[in-house]
Amino acid sequence: MNSAIRVTVNGRRHELDIDNRLSLVELVREHLRLTGAHVGCRTGNCGACTLIVDGETVKSCCILAADVDGSEIITVEGIVTSPDALHPIQAAFVEHQGLQCGFCTPGILLSTLVLLERNASPTEDEIRHAIAGNLCRCTGYQNIVKSIQAAASARTILSTRA
Amino acid sequence: MLSSEFAFHAPKTLDEALEIVGRQPDATKLLAGGMSLMPVMNLGLATPEVLVSLNHVLELAYVREVDGALEIGAMTRHRVVTSNPLIARHCPPLAAAAARIGDVQVRNRGTIGGSVSHADPSADYLAVLSALGASFRIRSARGERRLTASQFLLGVMETALQPDEVLIEVIVPKLASGTGSAYVRLTRVEGSFAIVNAAAIATPDSVIVAVGGASTTPQLLRTPQDAVRGGSKAMPAWAESAAREACAANGEGDVESEYRTAMAGVYARRAVELAIAERDGSPKDRFGSNKKGGDKA
Repeated sequence: MNSAIRVTVNGRRHELDIDNRLSLVELVREHLRLTGAHVGCRTGNCGACTLIVDGETVKSCCILAADVDGSEIITVEGIVTSPDALHPIQAAFVEHQGLQCGFCTPGILLSTLVLLERNASPTEDEIRHAIAGNLCRCTGYQNIVKSIQAAASARTILSTRA
Repeated sequence: MLSSEFAFHAPKTLDEALEIVGRQPDATKLLAGGMSLMPVMNLGLATPEVLVSLNHVLELAYVREVDGALEIGAMTRHRVVTSNPLIARHCPPLAAAAARIGDVQVRNRGTIGGSVSHADPSADYLAVLSALGASFRIRSARGERRLTASQFLLGVMETALQPDEVLIEVIVPKLASGTGSAYVRLTRVEGSFAIVNAAAIATPDSVIVAVGGASTTPQLLRTPQDAVRGGSKAMPAWAESAAREACAANGEGDVESEYRTAMAGVYARRAVELAIAERDGSPKDRFGSNKKGGDKA
């Protein structure tokens, strides 16, 4: 059984006829070929599938694609203007080695983006609460927190210059 | 992709949703935020034939102030319950409980109606709504009814909801001025379900405490006369023994029961201590040390 949906993903509109059984992460990975979001646990724990839906981060393994009709979705591919460019948050993660295997990174980048949009200079405590829904089994989080702090101060410099 | 086929409906109005649910109530499952149902479906443990999403029923997402109470629409997301100024002002332990659910992404999607209807004994909302004296507005194509927490919550993941009924609103009485309140929970891992949780309200002359997680449904306890005569100093000890007794009598009987029962007592006591301290204007943190300011997170 199928459903017809309209979604905007990274600014592009799509009209799709999809199987009701498809999850949102499967929609973006398999139908739209945006493979940045990963499928980890499928139980809403790991956060590797984090996407931004209508301005808020969600775990897209636990949302049916059929249920996001009319939504605006941002994936990690959508935070940069061109495939070669790095977003300042990505640059900070590279600089401060905020990733090792990289499986959790797309989700953490999107959680960071929403955090910094609302709180330009978060405390370490606020950063740790903001990424509590994104599990990383490599880094021990220390360098992730450092990367987010660096991204926050870089963005402060950018915004005071503007 | 999920293995079993199902029909999917995403109605935009409550009337439309009730009509669809009424067609095949026994084969239909309601989908709110999906933070409990979707993992269970992903694991193949739930295979509804018909799924009715309430995510597009915008009329069920609201927080309204009425005489002496707040009305919270069932599709209000945890994020809103955490940050809504009316809830923060009139029902602070409810905001505190919502803030402890899952993580950012879960709170962005999960709803108060979904969590309450799922009725997991450890859910953050159940003890606090019991302590606050909340009631639950339920509707079907047949009509509407309103139940108290003890009428609504019947057991482990069991509620009074009939297959064709939808929880549409949670009504939470405002805390009176001069009362103190607190919500505490025990967990080993950030974002996990609580092992036990407790909510307490201290009025000028008595205490109400509800504990969840160690019993099939929240245990609601009010100070008896002899404890009232003992005053604020006697109430934490009363809460600890009363919570242990109530949870021991209504436990799930699993291997962890003894531990949960003991912790229910400890957390009931802590919640009462914090609520009394807040009422008396000397907020303490959950380990009982004095803390300046009124941080209730």
